[in-house]
Order: sequence, then structure tokens, then C-alpha cells
Amino acid sequence: MNPAAPLERIQCQWCQSMNEKTALTCRACGAPLDIRNLVSESGWREAPRLRDMTEFQFSSSTCQVEGEIVPVAEIHLGANDSVFFEHHIMLWKDDNVPLSVLQLPGGLKRAFAGMPFIISVATGPGRIAFSRDATGELVVLPLHPGMEIDVREHAFVLASHQIDYSFVRVKGLANILFGGQGMFMDRFVTTNSPGLVLLHGYGNVFERKLKAGESIMVEPGAFLYKDSSVHMDVEFQKLGTGFFGGTNMSLARMTGPGRIGIQSMYVHHRTE
Amino acid sequence: MFCTNCGSPVKDTDNFCTACGSSMNTPVRTPPPDEPAAPVQYSQPVQHSQPAQPAPRAPEPPVASSGNPAVCPWCGADISADQLSCPRCGATVKAPSIRSESGWAELPGRKDMAKLQFGNSFCQIEGTYVPVADVNLAASDSIYFTHHVLLWKDPQLNITTMPLASGWKRMFAGLPLIMMQAQGPGHIAFSRDAPGEMIALPLQPGEEVDVREHLFMLATSNVVYDWFSTNVWYTTQADNDKETHYPVGMFMDRFSAPQAPGLLLLHAAGNVFVRDLAPGETMLVKPTALIFKDPTVEMQLHFEHPRAGFSLGFGWGASSWNNRYYWLRLWGPGRIAVQSVFDRMEGESRYLSNCSPATEQRW
Repeated sequence: MNPAAPLERIQCQWCQSMNEKTALTCRACGAPLDIRNLVSESGWREAPRLRDMTEFQFSSSTCQVEGEIVPVAEIHLGANDSVFFEHHIMLWKDDNVPLSVLQLPGGLKRAFAGMPFIISVATGPGRIAFSRDATGELVVLPLHPGMEIDVREHAFVLASHQIDYSFVRVKGLANILFGGQGMFMDRFVTTNSPGLVLLHGYGNVFERKLKAGESIMVEPGAFLYKDSSVHMDVEFQKLGTGFFGGTNMSLARMTGPGRIGIQSMYVHHRTE
Repeated sequence: MFCTNCGSPVKDTDNFCTACGSSMNTPVRTPPPDEPAAPVQYSQPVQHSQPAQPAPRAPEPPVASSGNPAVCPWCGADISADQLSCPRCGATVKAPSIRSESGWAELPGRKDMAKLQFGNSFCQIEGTYVPVADVNLAASDSIYFTHHVLLWKDPQLNITTMPLASGWKRMFAGLPLIMMQAQGPGHIAFSRDAPGEMIALPLQPGEEVDVREHLFMLATSNVVYDWFSTNVWYTTQADNDKETHYPVGMFMDRFSAPQAPGLLLLHAAGNVFVRDLAPGETMLVKPTALIFKDPTVEMQLHFEHPRAGFSLGFGWGASSWNNRYYWLRLWGPGRIAVQSVFDRMEGESRYLSNCSPATEQRW
């Protein structure tokens, strides 16, 4: 037994989990450990590009990421493990995986593409797979105990059952093309045990850590997720052209401390 | 500035990142040791060996095997021997140019995080599916862009609307097209809403390019923006409903750099293919696939009627529709570019009552 061996660990720079020295991908988030981070000079870090067929673990389950253009998250649920998700992103499942519905206060008032907004739960053992409707990246966010993140509506693919879920409505947060009617924001909180949140960002996903008081203006369509410590204000920029009354363009001012994630392609799901 | 390894902020004077220890001395774009200039392994373009085929007159890129070329194969900028990507358009210099046997050249490859320079400012192109143009504007520089491409910006960077003569004629998604201006110093970034490619078009003094509307992302302020009527239209009629359609848009944008060199960034959906047309050489393209063309390239509608051994039409007016395919005929000399993802044309299957000057082919 070499007493030094446990210290020889590499830390994943995406999710901070410790990995064995020989690991090529992080066991908690699947990020490649042997590839340099891509950071722009303005400080945005590209979300790790998950290698095709990368596998990682959460509680007693595993997730394999398949494909690259529109990646699929395939979950192998352990017994009694469960994940929750929006029903419209299910791709396929084993027929013996039971599905149930999460009770949500006020959830039935919210709608998605004319369908009621329902969070479904799949319980193991068994397999279930998810994908979304456009080119993009899967963002794996393992949550340590006591963390809280806010996510753009309809952007989460799944979350593990240890996570508490709620949502809030943010007024004014929408591109002027969509009349600025606002959008919902999903909130994920861990208390005592760690959990996993899997998101899908349209196009490419970038993350930046804001220092306390540091701020950045983000187009509402680009906002993907943030630590709840990041404060969000909707600000309006008057667009006067002299020919018509003028339009307001809303921008979200994000103020640190904390992480903020953006997506490079804007897809608007009409909020109802 | 920020550490290129872990993203932590570092002072410009620091030699090493205080967070992860990476050296700050290595310039960002300096690559690991040069691979020997051996034949390139990946997807070598098929150089046609059949002499029977009319060779397309696209500008031949310098051969990469004999060390570094002196000019960028895409934009023609001078490149010094130690540069691996073109400082003006970000194209990877040593990558082989990929050209189909029919003569369409793919947009040159660009490394993620490639950087290009204009004036005293830099633009980094980030991401591969829906690339982001992340501009670090110097105090002396300004750029303009359409309102719907803004992704994020520094809070202190000021953006203003730009007055446009008769700008009310231009619409985007039912809203007036608003041109906005950003003045340095500060960071501002742009992206569009479709997977595709970013096209950097450095404009030399006197150069002009015509761009189909709504593909424009940004231009430096010394680029002059104008537009003209495309005069490509057709009218369809159903009962008493008459509708005019503009398959390449009612207007086309024309960009030029009369005095100083400028930079134009476009975003196209899917993949981008470019070719040079010889004088008089023609090409039929899907109207909605056109990205840009040289002003010397002319365009008009073209109709094709496939032969059918039976009548496809019925009732009156059948002859005016009669299984007709719509094309945009482009003829040289000059460069044209198309995108592989295009919108469906409106009114294509309806009865055509009138149209702009067009050629026709009955098979």
C-alpha cells in the first residue's frame, strides 16, 4: 500500500470532482481531463466537449452521452434511483421503467407548446434516453450539497431525485422579437446529498465566473444557467430610429459572484 | 486578460497564472511543435485528374507542402512564416483547401478560438456549431451590427442606434431592421440563431460585395453599407389574392470599403461553398441558398419545366404553373457563395401570374 497514492488525484476543472490519476474523463461530469480548456480572451470558457460515448456516474446510475451534433443522454438507472424531466424530450425507454408525475404547485398554469407543463419521473432499474430538438451541447452540472442554480426554461434535460425543483417567472426577460413577455426560470437546489443536473444548450455553451460585483450584459435569449448567487436585472435599451416610436431592447445584467452559462443560439419556446 | 488554461483573470504583466501555474508567455496561437509538412492525412480534396472536365477557375490556394504560404488562401492577406492562422480572417493557413470535383470550395477550416485583427481591435471566433464572434474593441474602433445578433456585452460598452436613410423599408421578422453601433473600448459578442459557419470577408479599398439580406452580422465602421432592389420577384395569384414574392429578398445589401480596409462578418446556415465564375459562365442556384456575390455577378430568375408524358395541370391557368422549378441564374465574372441550409420559397407551388425578367427551359 502506497500511502501517497490517494493524493495522486486530478481535479476536474469543470465540476471540481477528484479523479484517479489515470482517468481520461471525469467520472462525475464526463469532461475530458486530457484536453486543454478553451478560454476566450474575454474570459468565457467553452463547456467541455463531451467525447462521443462518454460515460459518467451519479448516485447509483450512469449516463452515457451519444452523438455530437444533437447528443443523446442515455441513463442507466440503478434500483430505486430516479430522475425527473420534461416529458417532451424522451427519446426511448425500456418498457419496464415506471413513469410517474411530479406534483408541482402551480405547474398546470404553465404550458409548453400548447401542452400542459408536466415534470415526469422515471425510476430504476432500467434505461431511458433523452434528446432535444436542435443542434447543441449537453451541459453536465454535478451539484454539491448546498448548491442552488437557476436555469432557463425548458433547457434542463433531467435532474436526479436528490434535487429540489421549483420555478419562478422573470418579467421582461425576452428578446424584442418576442415582445419581451418574459420567461420562466427553473431552480434546482441540493440540501444534504449531491445531485446531478443535465442541461441542453442550443449551439455552443460558454461559462464564465463573475467576481463579486462584476457584471455582464447578456441577451435574454443567450441566458442558459447561473448560480443563484448571481443577481439578474432586466434592463431596457431604448432603440430610437426616428421613423417609428422606438422599441425597447431588453438585456439581462448579470452581477456576480458566481457562474453564468450562455448558449450561442437562441431558440424561443413561447412562454404561456 | 485571462489565463488560457483555467480562465482565471491574470494581470498583463504576469508571467504565470496565479491560479493554475500555466505560463503566460506563450502566445495564444502558438501551436505545439510543427508537424512535419508531410502530406495531409485528413480528407484530402479530390483533385480532378480527368482533364476532360472543365477546370473551375477558382483561385488556386498555395500548396501547403512547401512551408508556409505567403498569402492567405481565403482572403489574400500577407502571412508571415510563423503564423498558423490568417490574422485578417482567422482561416487556418496550412489546412488543405477542400474542393469538390465540380469546383465548389468549402470555407477554409478555422480553429476554435481563432483570432483575427481589424484596426486595433481583435475578434475571436468561439464555438463550432453556432460560432460566436467575440470582439475586443479598441477605443479607436467602432463596429455596426443588426440588433438581433447581439449575444452579450460589457456593461460599460455603449451601443447606440445608427440612423439609416429610409431604414423603415427594411424589415426583419416583422420588425424594422435596426442597425446598431458599438464604440470601443470593451468587449461585445454576436451570434445568430442557426447552426452554421461564420464568414470573415476582409474588404480591401475599392472592393465591394453583395450579400443576401439578414446574413449580415457586423462590419467595421469604415465599411459603407448600402442596398439595392434585387429586381428578382414573381407574383402568384389564387382567386383574387395576388401576392408578390422575393426569393432573394426585396433588397440586397452592398458593402464596400472606399478608403480604408474593413472587415465584414456574415453568418450562414449549414456549410458554405464558394466558387469563381468565369465571364459568361452561369450557375443555377436555389435562390434562398445564395449568401453573397461580387457585384459583377448578375442574377435573374430561371424556370425549368421537367418533361412529363401526361398533363400535370388542370383547369385554367394550368399552363402558367405546370410543374415549374424556380432557380436563380447567376453569371460571371465573379465570386459566388451558397449555404447548404436554405428556407423554402414562398408561393412556389401556386399559379404564377407575373415575374421579373426570366429565362426558361422546357425539357
